[in-house]
Amino acid sequence: MEIEIFGWTLLDYFQTIVDGVLYGATYAIIGIGFTLIFGVMDKLNLAYAATALAGAYFSWGVGTQIPLPAPVAYVISSIAAGGFGYLVYLCNFRYIPSGAPLASLLATVGMLLFLEELIVHSTQGMPQPYPALFDDVMLEWGDFGMRGDLLFVFCLCVLATVFLLYVLYRTKLGMATRAVAQQPVAAQLCGMSVQGTNSTTFVIAGAIGGIAGAMIGASVGILSPLLTVPVTVKGLIAAVIGGLGSIPGAIVGGLLIGAFENTFQLLRSVTERDMYVMLLLFAFLAFRPGGIFGTASRHE
Amino acid sequence: MKKQTLSLLSAVAVAALLGTGATPAAAERTAKIAGFGAKSGVVRSFGVNTEAVMQAAVEHINSQGGVKLGDGSMAMLEMSFDDDRCNAEEGISVLRKIASSDALVAVGPTCSNVAEPLFGILQRSVDDAGDSGLRIPIFTDTAIKGGLAKISEWAFRNVPNETEMYRTLFLWVKENYPDLQTVYGGVEEDFAHSRFTWYNVMDTRAQEAGFEVVGFSKWLLADTNFTQQVREMKKAKPDFVALSSHPFTLCGILKEMNRQRVRPKLMIGLTSSSSMETLQGCSKAAEGIIIPSSFAPVTDAAKMVAKLADEKGGSADLHSAAAWEIVEVIAQVMESEGVMATEDSVQEDRRKIRDGLAKLETTNGLIGTIMREGDGEATKPYLYVHAQDGEWAVLHDPGAS
Repeated sequence: MEIEIFGWTLLDYFQTIVDGVLYGATYAIIGIGFTLIFGVMDKLNLAYAATALAGAYFSWGVGTQIPLPAPVAYVISSIAAGGFGYLVYLCNFRYIPSGAPLASLLATVGMLLFLEELIVHSTQGMPQPYPALFDDVMLEWGDFGMRGDLLFVFCLCVLATVFLLYVLYRTKLGMATRAVAQQPVAAQLCGMSVQGTNSTTFVIAGAIGGIAGAMIGASVGILSPLLTVPVTVKGLIAAVIGGLGSIPGAIVGGLLIGAFENTFQLLRSVTERDMYVMLLLFAFLAFRPGGIFGTASRHE
Repeated sequence: MKKQTLSLLSAVAVAALLGTGATPAAAERTAKIAGFGAKSGVVRSFGVNTEAVMQAAVEHINSQGGVKLGDGSMAMLEMSFDDDRCNAEEGISVLRKIASSDALVAVGPTCSNVAEPLFGILQRSVDDAGDSGLRIPIFTDTAIKGGLAKISEWAFRNVPNETEMYRTLFLWVKENYPDLQTVYGGVEEDFAHSRFTWYNVMDTRAQEAGFEVVGFSKWLLADTNFTQQVREMKKAKPDFVALSSHPFTLCGILKEMNRQRVRPKLMIGLTSSSSMETLQGCSKAAEGIIIPSSFAPVTDAAKMVAKLADEKGGSADLHSAAAWEIVEVIAQVMESEGVMATEDSVQEDRRKIRDGLAKLETTNGLIGTIMREGDGEATKPYLYVHAQDGEWAVLHDPGAS
């Protein structure tokens, strides 16, 4: 006889958590982008998820002209999103005085809405098919199953983390990035270009976002402007819960949100799901404002 | 030289005067129709399609000489189209703007969540002098949530009657697929139309037809992960599924069903999903899904509208094609009621159009005769279409049997 808790078996819970963790990988990748930019500039770029999806849309646009294999589309998405990231830096950060963080924040909100409308107008708001890898792969063990495409996204997420940690701690660029993040004035006095480092961070974050955008499109098989705001919200929550500025934190935050929302969807309802995610965010902000890996006073 | 310049200037001035003088003589009277709907945001395609079809209809009528006015002269139809962003406040603001203009009738809106409050600011009963609500007829092509035209006597709709469509569809399924006993539902929980259609239409009509509803799953309009919902569906082991969902999430759920190898014997979809969006998004996964639709290019007129909409950069589907029918009906009513289309007769003309619309018992539709109901609603002819090789093909015509 199977043990049931609130009407669901242990296998149901396990399946739900695994599904959520796998899907949470997409939140985690977006969270990495938020956290990377915040870590370096101490500012939030709310247009980040929009640039990620704009990259995916760009690769879709190229794909309508020349048939592209899925991996090539993902690479194009990454490159395009890197370019969009640079544009966001120029428009929303480079020329806005550093002493006016609210101006940058609001500018990124404007950019988010602008990119969303741009996507809507260039596609008439219609969902567009996006190539998927391992879309029809389902790994099954009895009643338990795992989506092949989400497993692939999860692996990409891990790879992105390893790549970023390598860049940050094993390269000159990483050293410069950390120096600019910690002491921008001192870094500049040592001959490091603050603007160069910042713009490179936006390009790298954008490129990672482009992969996230492509993975989100691939996980549904469709790109839609409807995705922009929910992905922004979930990615931001992942970064906050993990600890803004912490890359491993963004990963853990993203996977945690995925598992959490899926579990509450099972226990309660899809309509209440996001309410519990917000409660989780409030709980963190109240009791551990620095997130899992951060500290509350990091930027004080 | 100076004289030559003066002559030249005089000639130009005379030509200009002649030009302006010629204008009133050749001026055409115009009767204005104001379209509005969602042209931004994620439902932009609905507004784009409606505008394209309305524009095509107006040009078609004008190319045949326009409409005959009450004094025997001819007037060209003139249309505008405003964006309400599928937002109730903006819809109300757009309608107030239209009401203060010389437009004789409004066509729209796209979204039911706009239509409901919008109809609420109209005068409820035409002869109630104490009601200061707006007095302009509105004819709706897209907002499909059941029973909205009852709100005001100035509101009319040319949208399909989903209750009837799904009632006959489930009966037809029962008759033609006698081995099917159980159905599992799916509903896009945060969209007024999808919710209404599942809870008030599909669920009850399926049971009335003798099917057992073995459960249903919910998702949200912006959801991208459907693993849990499809697992629930898989566990229920239904014979067939009925999905009340718009194209984006419909595609997501269908793809997840493929992935989890959930292969029901039959799939039924929401009226609004019998559009190009579904085929563009997931034609392979949607293969075979059956949807009742009030439009398909099956008659010469419907084929012409589909072609003209395409030329105008839109697409004719069950919603936008209704805008063609609406413009034709309005032109017909303008003639039958003797609309004057002058600056001074705007309010009188609006009342004439409203009364003319209320009097109609039938109108010509693109795929057959449309019955006008006393409450401003319509009963439209419909077909069952199914996705076949990346296109919508007619599966069955219930009106023919």
